[in-house]
Formats: sequence, structure tokens, C-alpha cells
Amino acid sequence: MNRAPVIAGLGITELGKVYGRSAPEFAAEAVRLAAADAGLDLAEVDGLLTNTGLSRDVGLGLQRDLGLRDLRLLSEVQAYGSSAGAMVQYASMAVSCGMADAVACVFADAPLKERSPGGSAYASAGRAPKGWQGLAAASGISSATTMYALAARRHMTTYGTTSEQFGAIAVAQRAWAARNPLAQLREPITLADHQASRWITEPFHLLDCCLVSNGGVAVIVTSADRAVHLRQPPVHVLGWGQAHPGHVMGRGSEFGLVSGAAISGPAALKMAGVTLSDVGVAELYDCYTYTVLVSLEDYGFCAKGEGGDFVTSGVLGPEGSLAVNTGGGQLSSYYMWGMTPLSEAVVQARGQGGDRQAARNDVVLVSGNGGVLDHHSTLVLSPHAR
Amino acid sequence: MPVGIVHRDAAAAAFFDGAARGELLVRRCASCGGFSAPQARACAHCGTPEQEWAPSAGAGTVITWAVVHGRPADGEAAPRTVVAVVELDEGPWLQAQLTGVAPEEVSAGLRVRAGFEHPEGGEAVPVFHPA
Repeated sequence: MNRAPVIAGLGITELGKVYGRSAPEFAAEAVRLAAADAGLDLAEVDGLLTNTGLSRDVGLGLQRDLGLRDLRLLSEVQAYGSSAGAMVQYASMAVSCGMADAVACVFADAPLKERSPGGSAYASAGRAPKGWQGLAAASGISSATTMYALAARRHMTTYGTTSEQFGAIAVAQRAWAARNPLAQLREPITLADHQASRWITEPFHLLDCCLVSNGGVAVIVTSADRAVHLRQPPVHVLGWGQAHPGHVMGRGSEFGLVSGAAISGPAALKMAGVTLSDVGVAELYDCYTYTVLVSLEDYGFCAKGEGGDFVTSGVLGPEGSLAVNTGGGQLSSYYMWGMTPLSEAVVQARGQGGDRQAARNDVVLVSGNGGVLDHHSTLVLSPHAR
Repeated sequence: MPVGIVHRDAAAAAFFDGAARGELLVRRCASCGGFSAPQARACAHCGTPEQEWAPSAGAGTVITWAVVHGRPADGEAAPRTVVAVVELDEGPWLQAQLTGVAPEEVSAGLRVRAGFEHPEGGEAVPVFHPA
């Protein structure tokens, strides 16, 4: 009996400016699509892990919405942008030990409202007017964008990283997005476009920042034995890791300089029995261009502090030597938290990328980043069993 | 941009009492004497939950900063707010607005000093200006 975990199903709802549907409705549809994609009856799903976004209304009730009976695993998971990877990890462990046979992992959100700018959805979210959070907001620190801007600026002043180097990431990912039918933004951009886009919070231009999307994405994790009889080529979950640095905001803090990828990356690669040079595709959480750059450094694709030179060396983009964020990422395709890199990783590992399929897909690295570099998950996926 | 309105809750009450009288309070560990940020629930150095309030001298250094661009009103430039992470000389980091300095003139390492703004209808809010 081979109970090694595989991802056997992927469900993606309509994404982007899709109005009139709630996050629970997107979540239910994503799970149904993932089960159908795998070739499973919905009733064969015996585990369900949910991750809610800003709408905060996707949870245990999803079982009833889907009419699932006698689940052997059901929980809400919340580690922000690292949640998608974390859900696959918990599902993989449940499948490996025989606790469950087919676990659906789902994220859905509906922060966009008609006639309201996308940025406002995140700017005011979860801000209490009182106490410490209120003090931050009163001081002008009212969104994750501000905190990431502070992190990015620290990287720039410490290592000499430039806005143009961030821009190279945005340009390369848009070139990938042009080949992705699911991407919300497919018009090519230039470095000049990036530099001319309006400031959101310096050092971030508009084109340094991710999209905001409504929709849902789900995957089904099952065993290698089970997957043999299913519809899709299995995507083996070879290794995984998490890291939650617990940065103390005080003298000596590495805030902005290092992410949890520095710990979760090597752990996941070791578990998978591969090395970084085996990785042909890297799907990296990219809430901001900066997040890609610091993740590339922390995984070890280049030395710490050399991310800026690395991303402008021609390594990125469809013609580059390393396939990074091949669907366009959160910057250009769709923003489904950690499901954005995970969903594209599944597509690439299956070899179903069409015009954007990476040639070397034997080892696919998936990075999830949550909070303000507070939570990190890594998955190592492959079309091949160990 | 002027600071916004913030109201106290139980956890921050003592801090705002200090701010009202012009004192920037941080946490000092009852066990090791180390300083932590005002919102710390345990000592950043030894983990001890018992902490006292202690006044900071109010002097610090800019670690990093960001310039928040507001939405422009008709025909006017977008308002800009400089926010920063400041390392107090005692060690803790605070996130606060920088005042009295143009965004172009901020740099990492800039020496700053704490002051307070007193918006109508809210608690006093610490800000930093070049020393």
C-alpha cells in the first residue's frame, strides 16, 4: 500500500472582478471542481481543510454547504499566505498515516465590492480603532502594504536593492501572464511602465503590488495508490516545511532582510531528497515584487543581498533560465493567497501549462508567505514519485 | 498628514496616560531589566511576562521608512505621510509617523526624537522628528 501523498485534483472558479457571489459559494464551487477534476465523486471526499480570507466566512459550515457526510478530518486553517501550503502539508500527513483518503483543501475570498477600489478592500480590513492597532492606524500604518514597504526599504538601504530591480520582477511576471488564459492582466509592460505607475506607498509603485481577486481555489490530496485510478497525472508531494520566525521588533531584528523561506526551504528540500539545483520551477508568493526577491535569496537561488542583481541577470521570464511564477503570480494573474503559487505549481508539475509550460518540471518549489514575513510554508512537488 | 484618532483600551491605557503627560513609555522587564516595545506581552529578551512601564529617553534612529501616498483631491497633489520604524536608544522598535522632514530627506540612520500630537477627540499619539 503506497500511501505517499499526491495532489490529484485542482479546482479554480471564475476569478477576479466576479460579483454577486459570496466566499462560501466560491469555496463550495472550487471543491466541486477539484473533485470533478480528480475524477472523484464529491461523496468520496472524506477530509476538508478550509482557509478563509478577508471575508472571514469560509469555515466548518462548508461541510454542510457541500453535503459532505461522515468526514474523518475537518478544520479551519489560518496562517495567512502560508495557509495553502500548510493545508497540503496537514492533508499529506493525514493521508500518509491513513486518517483520511481524499482531503480537499480550499481557499476562497470575496473582498472586491462593485464600485469600490480594490485597494480599499485590504486597507481597512481587520483594523480595530482602539489600542495598539488603533495607534498604528492613527500613525498612518493602516495596511500590509505599508509594512511590506518598510521591509522592502530596509532591504534597499541595507543591500543597495533598487526600485528598477523590483520592476524587473513585475515585467518578467507580466510576460508569463500573457501566456496564461486565467491571468487578469495580460498586456505586456516595460520597466518604464513600472517606474511611471503611481506610487502606492514608496518604495512601491502600483506595479509592485498584487491584485485583489474574488474567487476560490481547491486541491484534493490523496494517496499515490488511489491516484493511479484517477483522472489526472498525479503530483507527488515530496517534501514540506514551515517557518514562523517570530521577529522581535527591536535591536538586532532581521525584519525585512530575511524571510521564513531560509528555514522552510532547506527543510522541505531535505525531506524531498533533492537539492536546490534540481528545482526547475519556482512558484513564489508575490504579494509584492520585493517578496519574490527576498524569497529567491532565502531559498538560496542567489546569495543574501544579491537578489537585485540576480533578478536583472536575465534569469526570470519565459526566456530565462529559472521558471519563476510562470502563471504571472499574484502580481498579474490572480490573488488567491497561497493558492496562487500552489495552483500554478500543480499545472506545471502535470505538464499542462500549454504556452507557458516549463521544460524542466521534475521538481517544483512552492512558497507561501503570510503576515509580514511572519509565516512561511514550502512544498516540493514532482510528477515523479520518490 | 496629521495623525488620526485613536482611543484607549485596557492594554494601552497606561501608555496613553504617559503620552498625555509627554512621556514615551516602554516595557521594562521585572526580571532581567531589558526593554521591550510598549505592546509586548512578555520580555523580548528573556520571555518573562512580568513587566513594568518605564519612560524612554525618546531618542532613536530610523531603521526604515515608507512614504504613504493618499488619494489626491481635485487638482491637488496627493498627500504624503512618512512612517518609520524607529529604534529607540533603549532597543525597542516603534512604528510612528515622522514629522518635520521632507520624504526625500529621510535616510536610514537618521537621528530622531519623540514628540506628541494631541488630536481633538483622541489620545495623544507619539511622532518622531529629526533630532
